[in-house]
Amino acid sequence: MTTESIQPIEAETEPSSAMARRGILAAAAGASAAAVLALKGGVASASSRPSPSQEAPSESDLATAGVAAGLEVLAVNTYGAALDAATSGALGAVPPAVAEYVTTAQAHHQAALDAWNGVLTANGRPAVTEPPADLATTVNDQFAMVTDIAGAAQLALGLEQIAAATYLAVLGTLQAPAAIELAGSIQPIDRQHISVLLFALGMYPVPETFAPTDIAYSGSGAPAPGAMPGAMPETS
Amino acid sequence: MTINDKAMRGLVEESQDLQSEAMRAARQSHDELRDIAGSRRGQRPDPERLREYELGRRKILKAGGFGLGVLASSGLMSTAWGQRAAAIVKAPMQADTDVDIQIFQTASSLEILAIATYEAALGLPFIADNATVRTFAETTMMQHAEHNAAFQAQTETLGGTRQEMPNPKYAPIVEEAKPTLTDAMAVVQLAATLEEVAADTYLANLTLLSDGNMRVLMASVMGVETQHLATLRAVGALLEAGLPELVAIPTDLAALPAAAGSVAFPAPFEEPNLASPPEEGAVA
Repeated sequence: MTTESIQPIEAETEPSSAMARRGILAAAAGASAAAVLALKGGVASASSRPSPSQEAPSESDLATAGVAAGLEVLAVNTYGAALDAATSGALGAVPPAVAEYVTTAQAHHQAALDAWNGVLTANGRPAVTEPPADLATTVNDQFAMVTDIAGAAQLALGLEQIAAATYLAVLGTLQAPAAIELAGSIQPIDRQHISVLLFALGMYPVPETFAPTDIAYSGSGAPAPGAMPGAMPETS
Repeated sequence: MTINDKAMRGLVEESQDLQSEAMRAARQSHDELRDIAGSRRGQRPDPERLREYELGRRKILKAGGFGLGVLASSGLMSTAWGQRAAAIVKAPMQADTDVDIQIFQTASSLEILAIATYEAALGLPFIADNATVRTFAETTMMQHAEHNAAFQAQTETLGGTRQEMPNPKYAPIVEEAKPTLTDAMAVVQLAATLEEVAADTYLANLTLLSDGNMRVLMASVMGVETQHLATLRAVGALLEAGLPELVAIPTDLAALPAAAGSVAFPAPFEEPNLASPPEEGAVA
């Protein structure tokens, strides 16, 4: 992997957008356009965080926000490290779709981090800038063994699974509607990251009928053994 | 399109093992829900909760949610089924039925519609003859059936009547669309829209449900529906780009266009733009 082969990422942004745009236009112009449009029934302009409902988060909610922000820091840093490694050539040839995915996923996690830090700072708490130390150590150890794109994808898959499971678990305990809305709006995106990573690794993209919580990160310890990197959740 | 059938079947079997475990986890919450149901049985729904719900509902309606935004902006509001859809959306909530029960009944109605739609798709030659698409449709249909079973169980646990019918707003629209499903792309677009409606509905439900266990179940299904949606978006993009041979497992990663890495998730946050209101599929 060379710097030159990473550079087309920016150049591919337009085709990517155009591809998505073509999909939307085709839906509107096709034979079943009226039905699709009627089913759509809403303005899909999801480019920014939803406006949260007004209600102050509890102390427990703020603690959860801190844990979530820490996970997002870890994800942003890990995807950043993957990009650096790809740029240096350490991961071998990087397919365009992988480069595009890494850039997109990192931006998603940065947006999630900003949202959680917004919750924290709005309530008089400092923004989170460091990942959870125990999980970061595990990820760093695993990353040190990554030598190719498949290994990096496995590591990313593990992180996404932990993040998605964590968001799902905290949805049962969060109290403020704004916090529930935020966690609920991020969990599906992480699940979608999982699907793309599974497909990239040659696996079925939706293997689970119900999203699990068993590898959720509690903030007080590492996730279940075997959860890293990219392992499917333990089912025992 | 090609597929390694053996590998795919193995992965599906693995997922079935996982889902069995997940179903056990879902059932564990039934005991707690039965306690909730027991405490509510014979009582009218809490007026304060109904008021809170109605306020939230009005806020979403005012913002053009529950499907009215696009209906209005596209001129479809004046069509027969546009008016039918709007009438259902604007109908007042059922004050005599618990909101949680209505939410699970409506969720079931969406799942039943999804099952019927994938079943119909499997009867189309260009779907049935394609191993990759067929496997996805079969697996997804099975997953929706499990979702429906879970929602119906929760409905009954809460003392409600299980919803057995497809969603009344969308079922006629899907019926009208069936004759136009003449290629894989049309099916993918219709399925993607249904998945998005379901996911957005479950997302909107998270702040309406009264119990954390119910939220976890709803979100565990929501996450899977958005994975269906992501897969359909990626498949649709590849079909549209004239690359159907890349809709295959094992994946030809090097051949995928860059857009395959981002087309599945157009935004960093999911929003309930297409959410159905809780009473839309409630049992009358």
